[in-house]
Amino acid sequence: MLSSVRRTPWAAALGTTMIIALAACGGGGEGSENAGKEPITVGISLPLTGDFAEPGKGVQEGYEAWAKAVNDKGGLLGRRVELKILDDQSNADRVVADYEQLIGSDKVDLVVGPFSTRLVVPSGRVAQEYGMLFVEPAGAAAQVFQQGFKNLFYAAPAVADDHYNHLAEYILALPAGKRPRTAAYAAMDDPFAQGTAYGLKSKLEKAGIRTVVNEVYPPNTTDFGSIAAKIKASGAEILVGGSQYQDGVNLIVALQQLAYQPKLAAFSTAPTNPEFAKAVGNKTEGILSPTGYSQDAPYPSNKDFVTKFKAQFGKVPEEDQANGYTTGQVVAAAVEAVGCAEQGDCQQKLIDWLHANKVETVVGPLSWDATGKPRGAHMIQQWVGGDIKIVLPAEAKEADFIFPKPAW
Amino acid sequence: MPSGPLLFQSIVLGLLLGGLYALLAAGLTLYFGIMRVVMIAHSAFLILAAYLAWWSHDRFGLDPLVSMVVTVPLFFGAGVLLQRGLLARLRPLTLTMMSVLLTFAIALIIEGLLGYAFTGTQRRIRLGYGTAGFEVFGARIAVVKLIAFGLAALALAALYVLMKRTTFGWALRATIQHRDAARLVGIDTERVAGYGFGLGLATAAIGGTALALDSTIYPSLHWHWIGPLMAIIVVGGLGSVPGAAAAAMVLGLLQSLLQIPMGATWAQTVFYLALFATLAVRPQGFFGGRLAQRF
Repeated sequence: MLSSVRRTPWAAALGTTMIIALAACGGGGEGSENAGKEPITVGISLPLTGDFAEPGKGVQEGYEAWAKAVNDKGGLLGRRVELKILDDQSNADRVVADYEQLIGSDKVDLVVGPFSTRLVVPSGRVAQEYGMLFVEPAGAAAQVFQQGFKNLFYAAPAVADDHYNHLAEYILALPAGKRPRTAAYAAMDDPFAQGTAYGLKSKLEKAGIRTVVNEVYPPNTTDFGSIAAKIKASGAEILVGGSQYQDGVNLIVALQQLAYQPKLAAFSTAPTNPEFAKAVGNKTEGILSPTGYSQDAPYPSNKDFVTKFKAQFGKVPEEDQANGYTTGQVVAAAVEAVGCAEQGDCQQKLIDWLHANKVETVVGPLSWDATGKPRGAHMIQQWVGGDIKIVLPAEAKEADFIFPKPAW
Repeated sequence: MPSGPLLFQSIVLGLLLGGLYALLAAGLTLYFGIMRVVMIAHSAFLILAAYLAWWSHDRFGLDPLVSMVVTVPLFFGAGVLLQRGLLARLRPLTLTMMSVLLTFAIALIIEGLLGYAFTGTQRRIRLGYGTAGFEVFGARIAVVKLIAFGLAALALAALYVLMKRTTFGWALRATIQHRDAARLVGIDTERVAGYGFGLGLATAAIGGTALALDSTIYPSLHWHWIGPLMAIIVVGGLGSVPGAAAAAMVLGLLQSLLQIPMGATWAQTVFYLALFATLAVRPQGFFGGRLAQRF
């Protein structure tokens, strides 16, 4: 016990030293023009090992892509940006210690968030205590916004409940004769998957669209025959699936086996998976899905992001990478506008600016309510002619929304 | 009250599902009859067969049904080896308990190897006729589900004929009924038990192929199957193949029908409620008859 207590600070110190050294190395060569000014250090703790290692690394790439993009353009306020990234091992205790260290002893100028609700909440609290601005890439659950944070901003278009807002608006704007009257919902027993489906459900119910089926299935379900039979028997005109991936595929196949043809079918996550079309035998016509990020989205900074990301990492960015990059964009916008980036009074100015302003990012324009919850909604994509295209909102669309949906 | 067509559709789905349960439970109850062992790894072999069907389709473009040409003999051989090489070596005094541990270990090994070879990603065979179906009196029957049911029915019928009409079947049944007496009349019970195990595992090969036709598979899926299958063989009377088949049909049908009012989460509990009820009221099982009453 004693020896482990003694050893930990050494390990942390060593790790930190290496990270600083790495950051310094990475910065070599390009820094000459700003050599006179001190760099802006951005402190980050990420789950690079453990449960969230996969998405954690994705977010890290997003942050690195952002730092490179900023430095290539001469830095922030003429100062180079340096990232100081610690590994919290997906552990909520570690993440608290990491941010204490970053803010308290390493005196970083800015901090940004880790990945996942479980780590965002405790680290947001540390940032709040020190009065730091805390923009985070991945805490979308309702509880994040119930903590009374005044310094937190979620850098994505929408929380789960709001993913389908554009679709809800579209449906409710249909003329009375064309508007569907009944809807069926099937959602996995999972807070995120249910959140998406129930967000749309409450909006449609309020507008008088009757819920005729409301099924919840356990995550391990593989046989969707009975759920599909219920949906078919109800004759629901709209079908909404709160799905992850494979459950969405299985439900769609089971419904196709029963020859059920809804006027509209929307599923979260599954249809945006690259494997999706093959998995359902290419019978994808008209299937809808909300998406937080698309490489094809026409937002001004997105094209640049995709090209540079490809050059830097040799692959296209996905949602995790985009979220990291967006977080950086949000912080950068505040810093540029307020004109400072250090601990102390500056942080409150940054926070106030973000509460009052809108920021253009790779996922579209973002603005927030008092709890830090984004005010936007996800884009809606639809399978059209064997390809998935953005159809809503109108200003981002690549193709026209097809309603009613063609037979699958 | 659910509508007529939904009820009929659910009955059809329940029967199709029950057929698959019946085949899988038949194998499981066979092991118990032969050796009084609880074979936890049965459903792991089932998933293994499903993976082999998926892999041969994915890799070589073979129809999953063709994979049975290899998997059925392979599993039969594996069953014989498993019984002769491992289970027969356990001491009779602690056989039932130790067999649980041993087969639990085998299940974990299979799950681990599947995860190593094919990763934890969920897989599904993509068949050209995967979504095809036809209508019978207002109910839709999916072709893949019908093929799976047909496979199960054929395999069960073959098992029945084998048990009732062949010398080996007589020897096997004699071994199940009374091992010592069987030995007295000159049956090589050791060899027969080995082949019986092979037969049980061969049903897992067929069942796995049937499962792969219309379901997602992933390495840990077998834990999802072993519970209901155990419940079925207890309700049907441990060791009784026709009992297991009958219980499987009844419980499969009940599960499908209960999903209408209760939803998918709670309908699963029908297996465990039936298990409790059986153990409390009629521990020898509801379909076992005299054979099962003996133990």
